Amino acid sequence: MPSASELAWLIPVLPLLGACLTGLGLITFNRTVNRLRKPVALLLITSVGMAAVLSFAILAEQLAGAGATEVLFDWAGAGSFHLQMGFRVDALGAVMLSLVTTIALLVMVYSDGYMAHDKGYVRFFTYLALFSSSMLGLVISPNLLEIYVFWELVGMCSYLLVGFWYDRDAAANAAQKAFVVNRVGDFGLLLGILGLFWATGSFGFEEIGERLSAAVAGGGLPTGVAVLLCLLVFMGPMAKSAQFPLHVWLPDAMEGPTPISALIHAATMVAAGVFLVARLQPVYEPFPQVQLVIAVIGTITLFLGATIALTQMDLKKGLAYSTVSQLGYMMLAMGCGAPVAGMFHLVTHAFFKAMLFLGSGSVIHAMEEVVGHEPVLAQDMRLMGGLRKHMPITSATFLIGCIAISGIPPLAGFWSKDEILGQAFNSFPLLWAMGFLTAGMTAFYMFRLYFLTFEGSFRGQDAGIRAQLLSAAGQPSGGSADDDHHAHASHPHESGWQMAAPLVVLAVPSVLIGLLGTPWNSRFGNLVNPVEAAEVAKEFSWGEFLPLAGASVAISSLGIGLAVLAYALHRIDLGTAVAGRFPAINRFLANKWYLDAINEKLFVQGSRRLARQVLDVDSKVVDGVVNLTGLLTLGSGEGLKYFETGRVQFYALIVFGGVIGLVLLFSAFG
Amino acid sequence: MPFPWLSTAILFPIGAALLIPFVPDKGDGKQVRWYALGVALTTFLVTVAAYLRGYDPADPGLQLVERVQWLPDLGLAWSVGADGISMPLILLTSFITSLACLAAWPVTFKPKLFYFLLLAMDGGQIAVFAVQDMLLFFLAWELELLPVYLLLAIWGGKKRQYAATKFILYTAGSSLFILLAGLAMAFYGGGAPSFEYTVLAAKEFGTGFQVLCYAALLIAFGVKLPVVPLHTWLPDAHGEATAPVHMLLAGILLKMGGYALLRFNVQLLPEAHAQFAPLLVILGVVNIIYAALTSFAQRNLKRKIAYSSISHMGFVLIGIGSFSALGTSGAMLQMISHGLIGASLFFLVGATYDRTHTLQLDEMGGVGQKMRKMFALWTVCSLASLALPGMSGFVSELMVFVGFATSEAYSLSFRIVIAVLAAIGVILTPIYLLSMLREIFFGKENPELASHTHLVDAEPREIYVISCLLVPIIGIGLYPRLVTDSYRAAIEALVERESVALVKLGRAPVPAVMATGAFGSLPPALLHAPALG
Repeated sequence: MPSASELAWLIPVLPLLGACLTGLGLITFNRTVNRLRKPVALLLITSVGMAAVLSFAILAEQLAGAGATEVLFDWAGAGSFHLQMGFRVDALGAVMLSLVTTIALLVMVYSDGYMAHDKGYVRFFTYLALFSSSMLGLVISPNLLEIYVFWELVGMCSYLLVGFWYDRDAAANAAQKAFVVNRVGDFGLLLGILGLFWATGSFGFEEIGERLSAAVAGGGLPTGVAVLLCLLVFMGPMAKSAQFPLHVWLPDAMEGPTPISALIHAATMVAAGVFLVARLQPVYEPFPQVQLVIAVIGTITLFLGATIALTQMDLKKGLAYSTVSQLGYMMLAMGCGAPVAGMFHLVTHAFFKAMLFLGSGSVIHAMEEVVGHEPVLAQDMRLMGGLRKHMPITSATFLIGCIAISGIPPLAGFWSKDEILGQAFNSFPLLWAMGFLTAGMTAFYMFRLYFLTFEGSFRGQDAGIRAQLLSAAGQPSGGSADDDHHAHASHPHESGWQMAAPLVVLAVPSVLIGLLGTPWNSRFGNLVNPVEAAEVAKEFSWGEFLPLAGASVAISSLGIGLAVLAYALHRIDLGTAVAGRFPAINRFLANKWYLDAINEKLFVQGSRRLARQVLDVDSKVVDGVVNLTGLLTLGSGEGLKYFETGRVQFYALIVFGGVIGLVLLFSAFG
Repeated sequence: MPFPWLSTAILFPIGAALLIPFVPDKGDGKQVRWYALGVALTTFLVTVAAYLRGYDPADPGLQLVERVQWLPDLGLAWSVGADGISMPLILLTSFITSLACLAAWPVTFKPKLFYFLLLAMDGGQIAVFAVQDMLLFFLAWELELLPVYLLLAIWGGKKRQYAATKFILYTAGSSLFILLAGLAMAFYGGGAPSFEYTVLAAKEFGTGFQVLCYAALLIAFGVKLPVVPLHTWLPDAHGEATAPVHMLLAGILLKMGGYALLRFNVQLLPEAHAQFAPLLVILGVVNIIYAALTSFAQRNLKRKIAYSSISHMGFVLIGIGSFSALGTSGAMLQMISHGLIGASLFFLVGATYDRTHTLQLDEMGGVGQKMRKMFALWTVCSLASLALPGMSGFVSELMVFVGFATSEAYSLSFRIVIAVLAAIGVILTPIYLLSMLREIFFGKENPELASHTHLVDAEPREIYVISCLLVPIIGIGLYPRLVTDSYRAAIEALVERESVALVKLGRAPVPAVMATGAFGSLPPALLHAPALG
């Protein structure tokens, strides 16, 4: 009987088979397959479920102390080169496998409710299974090359799913933006991989690490080149994990269906960048410059995400910028040389952020019953309020998520975020200060979201706000045709069990999982990296832990308190107190640091203009010369007539006859 | 004597085409199309049988050899054979042609002539890859021009006369260089002239002579491939061709250029190649970026895809110039891969045009709502074209990248510059392909289009054609050795020949400007990347 680790290749293959089957069905017997909603969903959920069972079996083996398993085969090659593929299972991979399959499974169950009325139900489930397969493949990749393969595949799934509602212009633009921005990152990743292969002759993580530092130490490779290669590779994670300045695609990607935002754009795919950086630790570790750059980029990102989240009125966009910010924390941990802390935050964040997104989906689903299928209305918090009374489960789990992300003990976010801040405090005090400040902002904007959505009174029926929102979005307001499609309820309702159950299930780890990573006895650390965990546990002292933790809790409480005063008790009006007094800052934040505008001007329009100019050159200069020559040589006299009268056969015969004649002529000389 | 597989594969479709006038047909093409499909499929089976029965992938040399004296006075012999460079392309030719017959199903205008030309082209193109005599090669090369010209000029779009004339002038003009170079090589060194590849390969040409011949041949094949700036016939020809012709142009015709570069420029003139290779690499990069940008700006769908073909052929040039087995293998695979992907995209262009009756992107929009299967097929083929992993384009481009980046023939700075520029293509390709999809399928339905046209979804025949192309595309993407093993030995032998010439030349073929880069001072030990363990 083979061990579960040896069967790890089945984990991505099972969902892939399911996806292929339904995908082929959709292409060949579209109508029939589209009617088989429940069987298809059941098939795909089963395939992901089997992958989940296998993943947990592997995790159990790893917990019992099994070593890493690696299986490789020759994939392509020529001469003395062999490109190898295969799979690798170790503790880090096992944790990620369990995490991804768990959340994918819950999201699929949730989607059964969320997408129930969508005509693309079957297609949606097919994409979900395809994504799960690619993501799981990425997790078990043994080398950089295979990571790159799955890296692109998850990007493709993200493209397909963001553009799922392809008749919406916003979704179409967002999908394209997501893919192209990620390709910019992949540009660096590809070059970095090539460069590292050139320098070390390997695609494997450990070998690259060893040989690269050996080459630098031996003087064979300038340090600058090694650092450059490391940074090129880092461009990939920057794009995938939405790090400044390549984060611009993630908020737009919220145009996809909300279960996707939870699965891909919060819990799994965007974390892949962090995962890759964790895998690359043996490569990055010997170069403090690289670590510093990673830490600084992470810090900029966490600060940027949080500041923009402060002013967002769209519920999902608010959560999206929060994700950007939290991903920044993870990168900061990687830069501080504490991959275990970063990975731990990845795990806890995956649970509570998936729950928050699914909660927001539940809210949007309920809002759509009141305001219709119009994202501009259904996702705007100005139309929400008072939903706690109507949606008790959603609001309770959302509140748990808010507490968890704010870093209030003993919920999950406290332990992981505090560990990162502790590491940053030791490595880069300045960056710690930024992270610390941002922790307060995080608590504030999360509770702002909570209060605006769930407390107060319901504003969904306010026609004035609706008209205002629609006109702000540039759409005709008060259009009677649009107004009443599917809008049939006067107030929102709690979602069905398929949507409520995953929320409840996710609430459990959101509360408890942090306890696995307490700094004095981190079971998570012991599993993933026993050496680092033992070091952390040895150095742990209450005298150092308590003041830092206390300060974090204090600033979070401050943020929560401010949110309570402003949005629950309405004691202070931030609109006039802050936004009114500093309009420049407010505008800066509301325009997302103007980064989208810069991108549009510089890159989008710039590349269009360049392309048009090149085409002009092509058609006027290059082709012009050709046409001119043609005219000069053939334009005079009889020759032209044949072209114009269309006696093509005759002309072709002449050419052919001429050729034969030439051949005979030349041959005669021989 | 073993069965003459290759002669059969060449002569059977041509002979069968000559019988087309006797096929009973009411003039609407409903009978003759079955006949043509049958002939094309039989030809495909013959080539497959040739591969299975008479071809050993492990043998780097010439196989399936048939040699009959034809006109001994002229030194002309019917000499055919196949090695790793030609065998995959022969299979590709017969495969794509049989799918093109299926793609030509709706042709009702002069169907007999149309299928006659299609089948004649089939034989002609197989001959181009199979013949082992330069004079025969030249004849075959010219012979297949005629059908293409007529197919363009009779069944093309509005500007078909212009496009067809431009095509024939370009290619016929450039092929004179082949003849000149061929004659010069045949008569070199005195003695009885021979056009046989094996005889020519054994000759020791002087370096100056090699350079002259190389330049002449590069122009001839550069037009075909095409190499910027010799490419302007292609957007016109492709822009006017009908879907099946289009598939053949993109799927096979362009590959004749790449094949001929490998066969003559690299194999017969290795020393000149050692000097010209950096130029090939630079031209390849220019192809990639220049054509990607023009494709992005194009508003006409067919021309957009046509430029994308040019862009993809840039990787073939880089691979050929890479002096590494991996890179040259990648070039070979890129030709096969683009043959499949290009054919599928052009087929879809035709199928879309049948419905929308326009190729202008501005006049489309929101088509995906009525044509969902078509949308799915387009998406898959576009993703294949932008080198998504799991499909063949990714593997071939990756092999070219890795092969070139680790090639010892070039200085580090040159490799860095080229790799960075070529990688820009990685960004540009999705930009133009995805924005194309965006404009055709995404968004609100264009009311103008919806009111004038009847947008029906893909029919089973169309899905079948695309599936036939996607199976090898994905098969190669998942396990490239399916194909690379069939030519590996031949490519390794070829690169071995290149390396010998390189050593003979005594220096790395690097432009002096590039050699003095910032990294030029690195120790040579570092340039020898160890093999992957």
